[in-house]
Amino acid sequence: MTHPHVPGFNLATMTDALLVRRVLDGDTAAFTTIVDRHAAACTRFATRMLGNREDAEDVTQETFLRAYRSLARYEERQAFRTWLFQILINRCRTAAARRERRHRMFLVDDNAIASASVRPAAESSDLRAELQRVIDALDPDHREAFLLKHVEQLSYDEMAAATGVGVSALKMRVKRACDRMQWLLREASDVGT
Amino acid sequence: MSEPDSPRWLDEITDELRREVSVRPAWRARLLDDVARAPKPSSRDDVDERFGDEEELAQHPARRRRSITLGPFTGLAAAALFVTLGAGVTYMTMSSRARVHERERRGTTARAQAVSRTPTPAEREVVRFELSAPRASRVALVGSFNDWNPGTTLLSRDPASGKWVVSVRLPPGRHVYAFVVDGDVTADPDAPRAADDDFGSTNSVVFVSSPRT
Repeated sequence: MTHPHVPGFNLATMTDALLVRRVLDGDTAAFTTIVDRHAAACTRFATRMLGNREDAEDVTQETFLRAYRSLARYEERQAFRTWLFQILINRCRTAAARRERRHRMFLVDDNAIASASVRPAAESSDLRAELQRVIDALDPDHREAFLLKHVEQLSYDEMAAATGVGVSALKMRVKRACDRMQWLLREASDVGT
Repeated sequence: MSEPDSPRWLDEITDELRREVSVRPAWRARLLDDVARAPKPSSRDDVDERFGDEEELAQHPARRRRSITLGPFTGLAAAALFVTLGAGVTYMTMSSRARVHERERRGTTARAQAVSRTPTPAEREVVRFELSAPRASRVALVGSFNDWNPGTTLLSRDPASGKWVVSVRLPPGRHVYAFVVDGDVTADPDAPRAADDDFGSTNSVVFVSSPRT
């Protein structure tokens, strides 16, 4: 994006830290560039975490608004993406906890929920839907760690900064997520045949 | 791109999960509209507080002065509240649900208390947070005052008591906080809890009274 007031000034090539500085200096357009740069990844993570697009969009919108309001507290020694994901992760946790509280009012049979969540849809062979069911069946902490590592491709240090969880614990969570996913996929495959 | 030594099934899964989720133009437009209507984050030294929920009032290390205007009745009520709660005493309140099992499992106890009534240049008080977690290897303090950043305020083990301790300067007011013990967010086990943590787990609350009272 070319800056509207400065010919030849290209926001799209600026680092996140520079964009943040510009926003703090009053250039709102710079935040649009930040949104365009990170919205897809944030929406993807939230969608995988929460399992539906509507909740994910709400959470992502809230994340960007909170980030905007808190920009003055961003410190450049931390990667902006990690800082943004820190907010996003917290919003996802909050949304998931609220949803869980709502669901508890109606659903108490955990075994039934767990088995239902991994059963392949009879009418759908869509791989993504199948994967989302497997992802949904993971423990939320494991799901979060798996997605950050293997989907968003954060380093373990970045994950630790964003989640507040130690690196060794994160590695364990990722491993357990992989083990569980492999088991669920195998089971789903067996059920489907 | 997957890990070099990752199994094929994992590669297939991650390739699928990494497919970009499109950003709907209507959603983007709504977000940018909300951003345009939001107060501008003007500068690092002048943080806009008008949004003002607990989380958003986190303190930037560069510090800022907080200006709160109270009406006469609100001011009286606030003064009465602080008097009732004990002048100059920092304490915790608001119990919601106990996590006794967590405390027993970890063998943790904690306490946050004001250790200094001396007004600081930034009009803050030193609040000492303590946590007994003998099996923990890393303990951090997160709260509304450090943007819930687990990398900002680490506790260190006091060789004398064996407890994890940290002292933090906090401005007067209500602060929601929790400990992160080896990655797990844990409310202060000896403290009453906040009604709603907004982060998926229960937190604790500390009130810091004005050093001038």
